[in-house]
Amino acid sequence: MTAWRPLHRRSLAASAAMSTAIVVPVVVVLIRVLPRDWTVPARAGAIAGAAALVLAGVLVFDLLRLRTTAWRLTGERLELRSGIVFREHRSVPRDRVRSVDLTSDPVRRALGLAVVKIGTAEHTSGERSMLTLDPLSRRDAEELRGILLLRQAGQEHGDDPSRDAPLAELDWSWLRLAPLTVWTVAGGALILGIAYKPLDALGFDLFESGAAAQLWDWVTTRPWPVIPLLLALNVLVGLAGAVVTFATAWGRYRLEREPGRLRLSRGLLTARSLTLEERRLRGVELVEPLLLRLGGGARVKAVAAGLRKKEENEADEVAMLTPPMPRATAGRVAEQVAGTAFPGLGSPGRPGLRPHPRAARTRRLRATVVSTAVLAAVAAAAARSWSLPAPWTWSWAVPVLALPVTLWLAADAARGLGHALGERHLVTRAGAIVRRTVALDRGGVVGWTVTESYFQRRLGLITVSATTAAGDGHYDVLDVDPGEGLDLAARAVPGLLDPFLRTPGAGPGARRPAHADAVTTADRPAGRL
Amino acid sequence: MRTVTDADGARRDGPGVRGAGALLRPPRNQMDRRAVPVWTIELLFLTVPVVAGAVAAYWIFTSRPVWLGVLTGGFAVLLLTLAVVTPHAHHRLNRWEVTDEAVYTRTGWFTHVWRVAPMSRIQTVDTERGPVKRLFGLADVRVTTASAAGAIKIEALDHELAAELAERLTAMTQATPGDAT
Repeated sequence: MTAWRPLHRRSLAASAAMSTAIVVPVVVVLIRVLPRDWTVPARAGAIAGAAALVLAGVLVFDLLRLRTTAWRLTGERLELRSGIVFREHRSVPRDRVRSVDLTSDPVRRALGLAVVKIGTAEHTSGERSMLTLDPLSRRDAEELRGILLLRQAGQEHGDDPSRDAPLAELDWSWLRLAPLTVWTVAGGALILGIAYKPLDALGFDLFESGAAAQLWDWVTTRPWPVIPLLLALNVLVGLAGAVVTFATAWGRYRLEREPGRLRLSRGLLTARSLTLEERRLRGVELVEPLLLRLGGGARVKAVAAGLRKKEENEADEVAMLTPPMPRATAGRVAEQVAGTAFPGLGSPGRPGLRPHPRAARTRRLRATVVSTAVLAAVAAAAARSWSLPAPWTWSWAVPVLALPVTLWLAADAARGLGHALGERHLVTRAGAIVRRTVALDRGGVVGWTVTESYFQRRLGLITVSATTAAGDGHYDVLDVDPGEGLDLAARAVPGLLDPFLRTPGAGPGARRPAHADAVTTADRPAGRL
Repeated sequence: MRTVTDADGARRDGPGVRGAGALLRPPRNQMDRRAVPVWTIELLFLTVPVVAGAVAAYWIFTSRPVWLGVLTGGFAVLLLTLAVVTPHAHHRLNRWEVTDEAVYTRTGWFTHVWRVAPMSRIQTVDTERGPVKRLFGLADVRVTTASAAGAIKIEALDHELAAELAERLTAMTQATPGDAT
């Protein structure tokens, strides 16, 4: 396979089908905008002409794109030439390929096509670290995926890749956890807000048509039945939205382990499959957003290098390995992905995490009270100085009334803090709105950052963060006792921090003199060479 | 001249409270003495236009009430004082060290930050020289690891020392196999 190969021609058909997304609004707008006194054939002709023009434009662009794009796979490299105006030639060593992601939306699926996104280990941001082949035939895409990743597994693979039971498979009972997001509460209002613009463009003005005014009338004249009804409607729409989103995104979900890699496939309409090399995995993360946590659910996320970031129109991050699922199941999946057991999953019989000092709680409560006071003071001052009308003069009360909730959140955040050292992992937990339990592979730690702010210093706390090439780039042990935090870091990566500790015995990992005879040229006082 | 023990942050902040400074020893090396004038000049480049703008605005656009004059004056004095004082604090607090195994730095005034990167995980080593630093014969060394958490910067070294250090670090990191992730 060393010849340059084109993308798949059926892309034209897909583009033509996609262009209806532009054609339909154009036609609708034209119908409303064209002068009424034109004859019907003239109007039909103009509309057909415009539609044809859009379609032709899309097809010509896609044809040019197909003609100018070529890719090839040589023994060492994957190469891609692209660009209509600005030519680009990208070449990635095959051993730098980290993930291969296949996506087929319903149109492409019907045409047997798939978009292939190849994640590389190049240290560039965003799209630059991705190679996109849009599209290849489903068969070619699968084949490319196999070739790119099999060779790297570095071990013989059985003929039947799915001989093991999957790590996780969709259980439709998880659907009950799907509505536990903020979007459910915001649901109806959000949809109305999104739909407002297009409706407005089509000429349905909610305010001018009097619908809004009538609604307001109802609310003011009969608030008791109308307001709860509206709220219920809102939640109902949100519920339906959450269920539909869950089903389309996570239908046919399956997470399986193939030799040397993880494979995730999901999607009811748009089929996605992500393959992730285990060599790139630096740990796992248990994510519990507040509502989901209260409902007893959690999700599992991979901490991996070379995964692209979330795109704008995607509901979930690529690294998200599971949909919302019961906490115990999530813990089991996390443990299986990590390969070994680690503390802090809350499962019975397993060690928990070490809690953080009381001062961490003091710090959070204090910050909450101070910020509430500041917010209230600002609101009161604003209301006074601009002499705002009646309801606004009471705006200072809002943060004060919210105080029980925010104080509870602060205490909950402090309760959530914890850390531990597992057999292979450094585990840290933090967060109230979104609680994250991260198990970071100790071998993946590429450095330490110890931070002590003015306020932390006064309370005797520090933040120890492990820097890593994967995921967020650093994972923090927040507000820990200095002795305990440094000891944790010293034990997590033996030998790295010890030379810089005052008492070499503090880190039980290595017991050698603090200054390991490393007095070299650069250790002389600066500027005296 | 301040002594090393003065700078090491080992001071206890209260009975029974041990700060990180009491447990982590300060890196061995101070920054070059010339860093103080360099930073002072760099900060004055930033603050003088702001102060001049504020004073000019007060003089031209207002009817020069006394209270506003006092406020503007206070603002100007505060900024200029900071521009003069901060470099001294930085020089006293920012320290660095390179051993055979790791790069170790300490920075920060209100927030103390200690950073360690093992030699085997260093990816690139660059030297940087701004115009003012060039005038004083200084350079910064920037050490990047594979982490997105940002580079470790050793600021204001003698430029020859910086070049030598960069060369040595590069040689040492090349000696380690793997892609340092």
